[in-house]
Amino acid sequence: MLSMIDNAIQQADMNTPAAPVSYDNASIWQHMSAALHQSLDRVLTQLIAVLPGLLAFVVALAIFSLAGMLISWLMRQLLGWVKFDSRVTHSIKSDWAPSSSPSELIARAMFWGCVLLGLIIGVSAFDTSYATGAALPISLLPYLTHAVGAALLLIAGILIARFLARSVLISAINAQIQYARILSLGVKWLVLVLTAAMVLDHLQVGGNVVELAFGILFGGIVLTLALAVGLGSRDLVSRSLESRVEHVGERTNIPDDASTASRTIRHF
Amino acid sequence: MATTSPVPDDTSIAERSTADLLVLVSAMPPEQFARVLTNLEAVFDPENMIVATPNEPTGKFSNLRTISTQHSSSTWALTPADFINAAQYAREHEARAILLLGPGAESLNPLALRGLADAVFKASIDLAIPHYSLPPHVGLINSAILYPLTRAVFASRARFPFAIDLGLSPRMADQLAIVAQSISSANQSDALLWPVNEAVAASFTMDEIDVGSREMPQPSDLDINSILALITGSLFGDIESKAALWQRPRRPSPVRRMTNEVAASDGTGDVARMVAAFQLAYANLHEIWSLVLPPNSLLLLKRCSVLDSASFRMPDNLWARIIYDFLVAYRLRTINRGHLLGALIPLYLAWVAGHINVTSSGIPAERHIEAVAAAFEADKPYLVARWRWPDRFTS
Repeated sequence: MLSMIDNAIQQADMNTPAAPVSYDNASIWQHMSAALHQSLDRVLTQLIAVLPGLLAFVVALAIFSLAGMLISWLMRQLLGWVKFDSRVTHSIKSDWAPSSSPSELIARAMFWGCVLLGLIIGVSAFDTSYATGAALPISLLPYLTHAVGAALLLIAGILIARFLARSVLISAINAQIQYARILSLGVKWLVLVLTAAMVLDHLQVGGNVVELAFGILFGGIVLTLALAVGLGSRDLVSRSLESRVEHVGERTNIPDDASTASRTIRHF
Repeated sequence: MATTSPVPDDTSIAERSTADLLVLVSAMPPEQFARVLTNLEAVFDPENMIVATPNEPTGKFSNLRTISTQHSSSTWALTPADFINAAQYAREHEARAILLLGPGAESLNPLALRGLADAVFKASIDLAIPHYSLPPHVGLINSAILYPLTRAVFASRARFPFAIDLGLSPRMADQLAIVAQSISSANQSDALLWPVNEAVAASFTMDEIDVGSREMPQPSDLDINSILALITGSLFGDIESKAALWQRPRRPSPVRRMTNEVAASDGTGDVARMVAAFQLAYANLHEIWSLVLPPNSLLLLKRCSVLDSASFRMPDNLWARIIYDFLVAYRLRTINRGHLLGALIPLYLAWVAGHINVTSSGIPAERHIEAVAAAFEADKPYLVARWRWPDRFTS
């Protein structure tokens, strides 16, 4: 009798639709939990793999910086004791600014040499540690190296832009060109736009959009400058050409006193 | 007596002989060289003179002993090679005096040549510097910068510190040759030498000789941008290298009034053009000037920039401070040196415009130049202070 009742209950369970739903929910939570645990384990494992390298980098940098400070201080004392500055100044007959005396330069070179050595050793340790965990997806480090390269490009570009802008400005002013500032600004922005495009390209940001935008912007600036110079100096160019035709072989490029004054004023 | 001949054998005969006077003549066209030889022959005994020159000797002067030298790379100034040659030939021929004659020396009076040599022979002067009588508004870089700056910094009254004719004693020639050698070994064969500064540094005796008028040779590139940068940059560099010397207090050499006065100014300079150049520069180069000049100077320049060309003047003390500030900036490399000297050009043109206006008003040019030089001397403590403590004056 009892066996009959059990069979009847089992058949009733098999025919009931609600029971499998409660079983699936529990399974998903278990799977999610397991997945999260595994992911956490992976990240922690990865961090643990990288952490010694990172620590080694920091320690190496700190130790070598401290050593650099110590060596630099010792070098200053030693060079001061042997009167290195006065000996060098006397031998090469040159005066040095106090902020850049020979001993100061040597001391600074020693310090930064040590810091550089610490950086190299630290990066080397970090690189070794990174290589062991390379199977794990760390994409930040390569991007950081690109970012450093891009920063250097940016600095160089800004310096070159400033240098060229000043060169153009001074030359144009001495040639008494009225639109010297526009010319200088144009050159500056040309170089800056070129630099920006190179930086973005180096960072692999934007792709074709950057190339296209750069082409349009660069071409636009060149066209603007050409129009500004062409329209602004139309008379100057025509006068210059006429003068050339009339006085073939004569010098016409003395900017300051090319007129009658050049006959009475001689700078040397 | 040795004969003048380009044949090497004759040259070697000349090299073996001795002479009291060695004359080194720069390269020049044959007719000019012939005039120089005529002048030399007129005032010196050919027996006691040797002429070293890259020019081809002519048969007309067969009684003169000549040595062939290499062609100089410069056509307007003495080069380091000239000083090296002078010292070497002076030693070889046991000369007691050396006369260096630059390009265009045919325009010099024979008595002027005699005067330069006599200063060395009779007065035992180590460096005889000529005092030229130039037309008004000629040699303006010298009047505006070289003379006042050299006078203030090295306490030398030489009116033409960048003279291209010199009388040298053998030891002065040796001293200049040492400097020239160090320049040549640094591959700067076209560099300029500053004999007055070297004489002061070596504590040698120096005197200025009145030589009258002279045709000044012009650089091949007449562009003021390159001339000013070349000459002023060279002087700034020399001053920088002798900083330890000139910062010590020195007694200025006594004033010596020259008899030759230059003619009155004709006032035909293109003042309006130069003032316009300065005003354009003031509107555009203010940012660069502010890196070099202190606020006081900028304020005074602002006042100058609103003056019209007829009444334009550059105050003497302002000009002295501008040159001193540019000299300090050159030493500190505040901005690129090429940019620095380029930014000086409009200021120099402003000084020239002011100078022409001053001389047009009836004041003799020499008096104005002396006033400028006096302003430089009076402000020398400013230069010394800025040189030693540059940051103190930037605010």
